[in-house]
Amino acid sequence: MNFNGTFTSVINDLVQRVMPSLVIVRGAGAGMIWSADGLILTNNHVVGRRSPIVILNDDREFESKLIARNPDMDLALLSIYATNLTPLVPAPAAPRVGEMVFAFGHPWGERNVVTRGIVSAVLLAQARNGERFPVIRSDATLAPGNSGGPLVNANGEVIGINAMIMGGDQSLAISISVARDFVSKVRAENKVELKRPISEGVI
Amino acid sequence: MPSPSYPNFQYKTIPFGDTLPLRPGYTGAKEIDMTKNTLQEFSDALADAAERAGKSTVLVDARRRIPASGIAIAADLILTADHVIEKDDELKVTLPDGTDLTARIAGRDPGSDLAVLKLDSASATPAETTKTPARVGQLVLALGRPTTNGIEASLGTVSAINGPVRTGRGGMLEKYIRTDTISYPGFSGGPLVGADGTVLGINTSGLAHGTAITIPADIAWKTADTLAKHGHIKRGYLGIRSQTVEISVDAQKSLKREQATGLLVVGLEKDSPASKGGLMVGDILAGIAGAPIEHHDELFARLSGDIVGKSTPIEVLRGGELKTVNVVIGER
Repeated sequence: MNFNGTFTSVINDLVQRVMPSLVIVRGAGAGMIWSADGLILTNNHVVGRRSPIVILNDDREFESKLIARNPDMDLALLSIYATNLTPLVPAPAAPRVGEMVFAFGHPWGERNVVTRGIVSAVLLAQARNGERFPVIRSDATLAPGNSGGPLVNANGEVIGINAMIMGGDQSLAISISVARDFVSKVRAENKVELKRPISEGVI
Repeated sequence: MPSPSYPNFQYKTIPFGDTLPLRPGYTGAKEIDMTKNTLQEFSDALADAAERAGKSTVLVDARRRIPASGIAIAADLILTADHVIEKDDELKVTLPDGTDLTARIAGRDPGSDLAVLKLDSASATPAETTKTPARVGQLVLALGRPTTNGIEASLGTVSAINGPVRTGRGGMLEKYIRTDTISYPGFSGGPLVGADGTVLGINTSGLAHGTAITIPADIAWKTADTLAKHGHIKRGYLGIRSQTVEISVDAQKSLKREQATGLLVVGLEKDSPASKGGLMVGDILAGIAGAPIEHHDELFARLSGDIVGKSTPIEVLRGGELKTVNVVIGER
């Protein structure tokens, strides 16, 4: 293997591909672009009481609307008024212990930091309401500010949302399957409202 | 408005658009080359290695806290760390497929923090050990199975290979591997594996004040062999008190090798193997069984295992001259 050539260039390609989907959720953390027309997925604890400002990777700032939040699984869905965004692709298969992962976020407020690791374990966490859901433990170095950012695999597909960051090896990511269910639930419950055309701004 | 399955669930209407697509832009998959890239192959190889070695990594439940890990060295034998065994009976071993087995202690050596458990059924998959010893810089995975959720792993490199060293538990370790892998709770007794999934050694946090080190597979397996056969490791006994002294240049000439220090015999126990063998106070012990001895630790390391009970040549400098005396090594 040519260590200076292929291997590092593949990692570089991966980072270039994922980075446009990483956003700052002003206040405490990171988030990822979920849909081209402005859905942002992040941690519930990052959002706080009010809808935060979202800053895209190209420095554009947007006011966001909080669409849904689930404190039990620490997920929140925001929406910004923007189009043609670059969403991340969810991984089609469950993660394997030992596979490579890259965490994207803003640890300690430092922007656009990538850390490398492997999937250490796939565990079941228990939410406050007793529900069990899959979480991923990785040995990638994370710090406060990584919260809400994506954990991606070697293909650049997102496998989890970094959350519950206590520093060092105490970090966990919420499995992307949980996020998928969360968003589809939001979609199902919003069905009626969504069929009405909604205009923003001019009233 | 609460929903039935998410009690704290809140939502607001979205401010624009008439659809809320679940996974829009999934066409992005086409932009990404899904055929294997170098990184994906590498990633798969790591996951394969974890899976392969994971088949021989078992859960060892023998203490009150979180269970630890173990390595199957035969279909009915598990090698684990001694310090994770906190009881003598009702030991439980869970195989990777979820089978619970009871086990008993076949042998344990607190000095090197190794223990061998015998299973009540020969159904474990023995681990494959490496054919090439660990090298500084090579990629390694530390594996463990402290829960029944599946194998756990962390990635790192071999940082150093050192030894001999006196362990925190009064034993002597000829060689140990230090890595920068993360040792999660319950990883003691689990294997350190190379990128091909073969076992390089056994991890334990019981030897170096809580930080994890790895006992190389050749040493660990040899100890395990003895433990399985005899139940304990024989510690040799000479019966001398000694201190490290410099060997003069002239004396080094009669030794026919460069050796800076040796052990000056300052006292002999009565009727000890050393005094029976003819060692005298004032001798400088310079070698045992063909191996030079410069420090106490080296002598300590040599005085274990097979050598015990055997007549062993010991090189001493007596009055500047090299003499070889044969001593039958006793057992402590």
